Amino acid sequence: MNNKKLVVAALAGLICVALAGPARAADKIVICALTFVSSSPLFIAADKGYYADEGLEPEFKFFRAAQPVALGVASGDCDFGVTGLTAGFYNLAGKGALKIIGAQSRVEPGFDFVAYMASNKAYDAGLTSVEAYPGKSVGMTQVGSTFHYMMGRLAEKRGFALADVTLKPMQSVPNMIAAVKSGQVDSILMVAHIAKALDGAGAAKIIGWVHQETPWQLGALFTSTWNVTERREMVEKFIAAYRRAATDYHAAFNQLDKDGKRTFGEAADALIPILMNYVGPKPTPAKIKAGAPFIDPDGRLRVQDIYDQVAWHKANGLVDDSVDPSAFIDLSFVDGHYDVPGN
Amino acid sequence: MAEETGQTPVPFRGGGFQPGARRWAPWAAFAAIIAGWQLASSTGLLPPLIMPSPYEVVLALGHLAASGDLTEHVGASLSRIAWGWSIGTLAGLGVGFAMGIWSLARSAGIPVVAALFPIPKIALLPLLILWLGIDEAPKIATIALGVFFPTVIGTYSAVDNVPRSLIRMAQSFNLPNPAIVWKVILPGAMPGILAAFRITSSIALILLVAAEMIGAEFGIGSFILAAGNLMQTDQLVAGVVLLSILGLTISFVLGRVEAWLLNWR
Repeated sequence: MNNKKLVVAALAGLICVALAGPARAADKIVICALTFVSSSPLFIAADKGYYADEGLEPEFKFFRAAQPVALGVASGDCDFGVTGLTAGFYNLAGKGALKIIGAQSRVEPGFDFVAYMASNKAYDAGLTSVEAYPGKSVGMTQVGSTFHYMMGRLAEKRGFALADVTLKPMQSVPNMIAAVKSGQVDSILMVAHIAKALDGAGAAKIIGWVHQETPWQLGALFTSTWNVTERREMVEKFIAAYRRAATDYHAAFNQLDKDGKRTFGEAADALIPILMNYVGPKPTPAKIKAGAPFIDPDGRLRVQDIYDQVAWHKANGLVDDSVDPSAFIDLSFVDGHYDVPGN
Repeated sequence: MAEETGQTPVPFRGGGFQPGARRWAPWAAFAAIIAGWQLASSTGLLPPLIMPSPYEVVLALGHLAASGDLTEHVGASLSRIAWGWSIGTLAGLGVGFAMGIWSLARSAGIPVVAALFPIPKIALLPLLILWLGIDEAPKIATIALGVFFPTVIGTYSAVDNVPRSLIRMAQSFNLPNPAIVWKVILPGAMPGILAAFRITSSIALILLVAAEMIGAEFGIGSFILAAGNLMQTDQLVAGVVLLSILGLTISFVLGRVEAWLLNWR
């Protein structure tokens, strides 16, 4: 009897040690993202051990759409997420569960990231530049998507009403590609690596780039409000690792030569094999280079631009009037954010 | 006493199992559900992040009505449903009657229907777009396809259930075949066909969201999808409530049609 008790006690002790051990060794975090090149700093930090250096143990969960990432963070299933900023994101953030803490991709002059494309039929009929948009139909993924927003900003800049183009929600990128190839819509907006492939194959024509018209803060890094208040130290560690990786990314992919053309040197060649492990589907080095956006090396946001986005969405009835950007952007984790609105 | 006479008095055990109508019950059921829901929202048991309160849903509906978009959404959806359901039903009735009457049509039809019925219509959406474009045609086709197969099955089963004795009697009175179909089989099959209508009208509503996924600017389905994408849960629920009201209305109209068509019973 006594022997048995001893064994049980010893086993219980062992289990306690086993359970406590790793918990002390590393903070477990769940990172949710899409398998896009725009999520690169997350992958670089994991592969180069930057999270481990900060005492974090990351687990990745991958999604096929931006919305579930934001919902995952809001519900507490994910600690961190990066996605493009959509009206849906802002409405969710406005409910108080999310905090934007840093930057992801930015549409920056000189960096091809999203193209305006015309179907061959529409191109032949005169849609050869962005001035010719009024009266045309434009395929997009969803109402309130980044594509919707970019089209709205273009309309503003070029002085036509967004109502002058017919926006067609197609739910997915493959549907958009099918529709522009077959000429069922006159135009789509498309990310660079797909746009260049379509243009190269003669399936549709690139008629301009968003960075030439309306540069903007496309993506952000966010966490839950609960993490910001209850696990601040962990969030700070994560940001440190994220910024180290973003700096690596910057050295590899954010470079322009003296003529303003993008160059990819050895640093890019060194990072591409890492990204090939994460980015899907069927990545190639050429696709990764074509799809690589500008990402701020320090995670700095263009803050005023986010305020402008929310205002645009509100004006178009896509974001609720009660949503206040200052309530869901936390500027305290990263120094040197750009264009911070005065109080 | 009973033992003495060898007779056991048997109490009357009939009754029950005859659901009747209680006019107040449906209203009370809805009122109880909505009151419970509002109570949970007001007390904070149901946070707005998870589910909007009925009050917010009513506000969203009011907003929609005030902006004038409501009629446009409902109008677009009703016309799609009317076209899709009519086309699917007419085709389904034709094929279903053929399968109910002729051996060849039945032998060939049953396996084909069994093979095609379970295909999710959403999976066919890319093909429908290739064949029919992105305007009204694929939306109507999605609904028509969803309505067609249950109508076929409902119709030929209903024809099967027409008492053969009635058909034989008509034959013995030397009625020509078209007259038998028109005067005996059609009325005899009508209860089954109307039951199928109740199912297919609901299917048409369910498929509305799928049909309006592609390229729809207006429509209740596209409104619900957009509200979901925008995380505007009050509008999402408002759209679902619209679908429910539409379902109730159609069910009520079908009830009236049923009473009128089947008053010979």
